[in-house]
Amino acid sequence: MPKFTINGQEVEARDGQTIIQAAEEIGVDIPHYCYHPDLPIDGNCRMCLVDVERMPKLTPACATVVTEGMVVRTNNERVKEAVRGVLEFLLVNHPVDCPVCDQAGECRLQDYYMVYGLHTSEIPLGMKVRKRKVIDLGPMVVLDQERCVLCSRCVRFCDHVTGTGELQFFGRGDHVAIGTFEDRPLENAYSGNVVDICPVGALTSRDFRFKCRVWFLHGADSVCGGCSTGCSVRIDHRDGTIFRLLPRRNPEVNKSWLCDEGRMSFHALSTGSRIVQPKVKGPAGVPTAARWDEVIASINSRLKETAAAHGSGSIIGIGSASATNEALFLFKRYLSDRLGATRFEFRLDGEDRRVAEREDDLLRRTDKHPNSMGAMKLGLMDAELGGIEGAISAARAGRIKAGVIIYLKPLVARPGDDAAEARVAELVRSLEYSVVLAAHEADWQSAASVLLPIAAWSEEEGTYTNYEGRIQFAGRALAPDGGSRPAWQVFALLLGADGTEPGWTSPEQVFESMAESIPAYRNIARSQTRLPGVVIAV
Amino acid sequence: MIKILLENTDKVDQVRLEKYKQRGGYRALRKVLTMDPPAIIEEVKASGLRGRGGAGFPTGMKWGFVPRNTGKPTYLLCNADESEPGTFKDRILMERDPHLMIEGMAIACYALNCHLSYIYLRGEYEFIAHTVQRALDEAYEAGVLGPSVLGHDFALDIHLHLGQGAYICGEETALIESLEGYRGYPRIKPPFPATHGFLASPTVVNNVETLCALPWIITNGGAAYASIGTEKSKGTKLFSVSGHVAKPGVYEVEMGYPLLEFINKEAGGIPNGHKLKAVIPGGSSVPVLTAQECEGVGLDYESLLKAGSMLGSGGMIVFDDTTKMPEVLSVIADFYAHESCGQCTPCREGTGWAAKILRNMVSGTGKWSDVDLLLKIADMMEGKTICPLADADVMPIRSFVTKYRREFEALCSS
Repeated sequence: MPKFTINGQEVEARDGQTIIQAAEEIGVDIPHYCYHPDLPIDGNCRMCLVDVERMPKLTPACATVVTEGMVVRTNNERVKEAVRGVLEFLLVNHPVDCPVCDQAGECRLQDYYMVYGLHTSEIPLGMKVRKRKVIDLGPMVVLDQERCVLCSRCVRFCDHVTGTGELQFFGRGDHVAIGTFEDRPLENAYSGNVVDICPVGALTSRDFRFKCRVWFLHGADSVCGGCSTGCSVRIDHRDGTIFRLLPRRNPEVNKSWLCDEGRMSFHALSTGSRIVQPKVKGPAGVPTAARWDEVIASINSRLKETAAAHGSGSIIGIGSASATNEALFLFKRYLSDRLGATRFEFRLDGEDRRVAEREDDLLRRTDKHPNSMGAMKLGLMDAELGGIEGAISAARAGRIKAGVIIYLKPLVARPGDDAAEARVAELVRSLEYSVVLAAHEADWQSAASVLLPIAAWSEEEGTYTNYEGRIQFAGRALAPDGGSRPAWQVFALLLGADGTEPGWTSPEQVFESMAESIPAYRNIARSQTRLPGVVIAV
Repeated sequence: MIKILLENTDKVDQVRLEKYKQRGGYRALRKVLTMDPPAIIEEVKASGLRGRGGAGFPTGMKWGFVPRNTGKPTYLLCNADESEPGTFKDRILMERDPHLMIEGMAIACYALNCHLSYIYLRGEYEFIAHTVQRALDEAYEAGVLGPSVLGHDFALDIHLHLGQGAYICGEETALIESLEGYRGYPRIKPPFPATHGFLASPTVVNNVETLCALPWIITNGGAAYASIGTEKSKGTKLFSVSGHVAKPGVYEVEMGYPLLEFINKEAGGIPNGHKLKAVIPGGSSVPVLTAQECEGVGLDYESLLKAGSMLGSGGMIVFDDTTKMPEVLSVIADFYAHESCGQCTPCREGTGWAAKILRNMVSGTGKWSDVDLLLKIADMMEGKTICPLADADVMPIRSFVTKYRREFEALCSS
């Protein structure tokens, strides 16, 4: 643990820590382009040069390990002049096309120019090196070689993170440009990350390009709903529309990365129509719109009647591995405490077996639900039924008469999806009375006795438990669409309808109740579910 | 004058192993094979031999940095990527006396316990490659190289590797990257090649001329070598002279030999009755000296440093009084802009920018402010990059512009 001095402040660094890392921890910002905490050190941009006593030249803070007694200055005239010079060099051949550049607003050239530059350009436009613009690099990325500062972050990402090595430098001197061999597309499963780590506008997102200026966007911290890994993400949205998903750095889960499927998963939310109000199947078998209060009352009475007539074992609850812990907790609480139900399932396609199964060496898992582990921890498995197929058999045999079913379509598609959804439909058709909670419309829902519109992934605050038992907080980006409600709230309404429960008014209260009553979640405070999340035993 | 390196380069058949042996070749290697490796390193330290590639770092000390018993092999890389403008001394050695280099390498390898060594030959020297390769083949055939060097229990393989034509690959870490099959990008130091070089193993990179001095040092002893030259610059040095001299070529002189005497006597003086205007003494990346500054300067590391320049590679370029200095600088700047690898920002952008400004000046579209801008760019580049290429551009820019400022200003109109 070497002690060193930075700008007069004496600090202790960890063994092996570089100056830039140690400085960051105490809030000293050292400007940089090529340094990235999750990539190997390269030291090419020269923006992080600092003055270290007893070193004759300025030294790159990203590549210099802190040693005992080191005296570092990041803000003296010598350093400022060097940084100003490097910035001026970076802009010598830069096209300065900020007005048409998507990176504007989150560009390190712009930001650092305002802090360290503010110089007048001494190079006439005609003298600048021209390079290629708008190069199509496949489904996710568009390359503009002119804007590139050649920091090599994207090259190192493809070399060291995905190991696919598509990007490389071409040419020499001020004609160096990054690119792929013969402009071949960048098609690895994580290609979108190069856009995030590009500090300038050289690599832009094909999906997000020209959709919205970044300063109009609002960000909500969330957890990716695309698979059981549960990568930390930020949902960037404006006026009720999601524009992009970005990874949030979580060293324990996804570092700084996000897979392309996860990144694009939000588009699934706007595919197809949303259910906008509760529907009840009328006497002629035709679903008709109903008010929430009416529906809540009728569900309560119908399910109580069923329990009284056929016993509480005739009621089943089918949870969703895409629902929040809060929703699943109140769902189970309602069915078991209020109706005495004992049969619960959530498995549509062997989620419990696949929850930790890797799809590749990096992040992706084959279970495309964010909360299978949460459903398992809440006890939504029935050994006798062994999954939804057992429930279908029991319903066909008449042992199960009624059911409450949450179905949320996975945000990332996988081959077994349609079959899994067909099994849900089959169960609904086999039940005498069914309450279906869903976000998106589907034909089979016409068979449901009651259809309740619930919030989709981005519209509900709550927690998810990933494959390793890490509980993570996900915030709400958008308001629930139309007349839909977050699923936890639907069950809070059902539980509170007869006035016997205190009533939960926020997902936070639900979490507290869960932490009190579920052994696996005992003694966990909700604040612990914030980055990087808290791991429970699995 | 004593000839250590060029003694046999004027003999046409010297390239043949048989003739090389007849003239005393491979005797030093035979002697070395009976010595203790540390004793060889001590001998080289005692000789005071300094790296002839340009930096002038003491060779024995460089060898001493190589850790022993790391569990990894040690590599010797012969830097034959002679690309510094004005420099063509290694070429003569390899073309005319390739076995001298091979013997020097074998001595170094034995001293360093190295069993695999590479010659990194400049891409543009493709025409020398077959000469060197033939010499290597002969050496293998004669048992000088291979599993048992000269019958001793020491195995050594030497491979020839041809570069692809990049100045930067003469920088030792870029050379290593290139040899490993990567883009020739210099590495950040530390770690140094002595501990983490070729294939992350202990590595010594020595220049051809340095290695060629070893057989003589082994045969005659370090002390004999150290008795030649000046107090701190020992032995002899090759100078490749070009430009406005009557007899351009490669000359071997004792360290400390007077610069002006060298130009006037060895190189035949300035032809056509012109006067000396300036000298770049050690390759294009060292500061230029005016005729006046050359007075009393000796050809050794210290004397040239004192005069404000450097010995460098010994690539001497002489200019007479008809020379237009901005044009010379423009050519030099174009070279560095073309050869900058493009890795670090200051060098990538600075060398290109400076070259463009100079081209504008020479073509008559320069501005008055450009003269100071060149000096500003030099300041912005100097000492801010991974390798010394940017500094190699700074040296000529700053020295030319400050010493011949009026010539630059005269070209600028607005």
